[in-house]
Amino acid sequence: MKEKEARVDYREHQLVLYVEKKDGSYGPMRTGSYITKNYIDDYWLKRRNLEKEYLDRVVKGEISPIAYYMVLEELTPSELAARVKIPARRVKKHLSPATFGAVTLDELRRYCEVFSVPLSSMLHALVIRGKTISIREAKTDNPYFSLLKIEAGKK
Amino acid sequence: MTTGGFHHAMAAHCESGTVASILSHAGLQISEPMVFGISGGIFFGYFESKKFPFPTFVVRNRPGQIRTNLAKRTGVKFTERRFRDPAAGERGLNGLLDEGKPAACQTDFFYMNYLPNHVRVHINVHFIIVVNRKGENYIVSDCYSPSLAEIDRDSLIKARFAGGSFAPHGFLFYPKYLPESIDYKKAIWKGIKSASFMMVKLPMPFLGVKGIRLFARKVLEWPTIARDTEHLSHEIMKINIFLEDQGTGGAGFRFMYATFLREASELLNDPDLLDMSGRIMEIGDRWREISLFAARIGKRRDLGRDRLGELGSMISDRADEEEAFFRDLLALSKKR
Repeated sequence: MKEKEARVDYREHQLVLYVEKKDGSYGPMRTGSYITKNYIDDYWLKRRNLEKEYLDRVVKGEISPIAYYMVLEELTPSELAARVKIPARRVKKHLSPATFGAVTLDELRRYCEVFSVPLSSMLHALVIRGKTISIREAKTDNPYFSLLKIEAGKK
Repeated sequence: MTTGGFHHAMAAHCESGTVASILSHAGLQISEPMVFGISGGIFFGYFESKKFPFPTFVVRNRPGQIRTNLAKRTGVKFTERRFRDPAAGERGLNGLLDEGKPAACQTDFFYMNYLPNHVRVHINVHFIIVVNRKGENYIVSDCYSPSLAEIDRDSLIKARFAGGSFAPHGFLFYPKYLPESIDYKKAIWKGIKSASFMMVKLPMPFLGVKGIRLFARKVLEWPTIARDTEHLSHEIMKINIFLEDQGTGGAGFRFMYATFLREASELLNDPDLLDMSGRIMEIGDRWREISLFAARIGKRRDLGRDRLGELGSMISDRADEEEAFFRDLLALSKKR
């Protein structure tokens, strides 16, 4: 690949590509990510649609919040089980709302560490309608406790 | 930031970049492509497993082999440590840093919170160099970060002790012995021979050139596995990410391999390697056409059978080209 074909002006996501330079030599070149620059909007659109679809399924009682986060993080039950360090059959049990109640508080905390979300995210979701307010749950050093942060005048 | 003289540099790939960087810091100047080439890093594999939510492919050898193969072929020796519990792992790392020794650590990429959110996924084979401590944080040299970065203690512990496939178990390494001289001719040809063999001689239908052909056929079945069109679009566009963005140096490591062959041809004064370098660079250009095509049809949701057939056919053509290329390279390696 020629150097000029590889050049992408995108500071937010830099990477290194190996290219044929102007003098004919081959070597590394720092440039922007082509796919992030051109397709990131499409990625976020699909992500939002996926979140909405699976949140609806949680609300309807079709899946548990664990199943919701598992899909979002592109994990399988066996991989999730290995990360939470519990048997895969137990994870499968936790994916259904009917048997989600069997989860222990400590297991839930370990799921949340894998998903990097506060514990409370397993029991409710924030739905924000206003455009000038920011509401988010923030993790604290206490794994069983989160803060609800509401900031006015922000998107 | 106190970095003990550590020079941070971005690299294409985390493992080859980390190995090159930590060796350079220790006094052995070696380029990333040379590390990659000597270790026989170039590869292809197509996988369907219950560990993956969707079929996937790899374009390099098994994680860890870049370090182990390089060590075997050059005589470099690394100290390698794994830990049973996080507290011991933290003490082990801190002890090294206190002695002024940067250490390369295996981590779960998801917790590298200084990188953009959209690139961070759970994968346990990301390598970084921890350079020093700063209060409760660590200073790290990550090949994917434009500058030295800081990571908090909690995130680094989680990243080093994540469970799942290729769980790191706190794995860290650093050079303990550098040979006075390296027989580069021997090391380079061993790397070339092993990579070529892996690409064309393995009997398994999902590895090497056979794996590329399997990928070409299987991509037509992806619509039956995907949840819906958007999911299919996401997976098709990930072809671009796996080939270009996920630390390959472009075209699924083919451009980096071309750079290695050219560097090797200059070092060994071997014109045959220069020819092979040009050939794999051209093959890489056509892999990149696949990347761009996948991104385009994914964005447009233009994912009908004809279009995927076109994609499969492009992938199949690459298999033919790579089979010829690696057979010639293997034949060349047997003559040397």
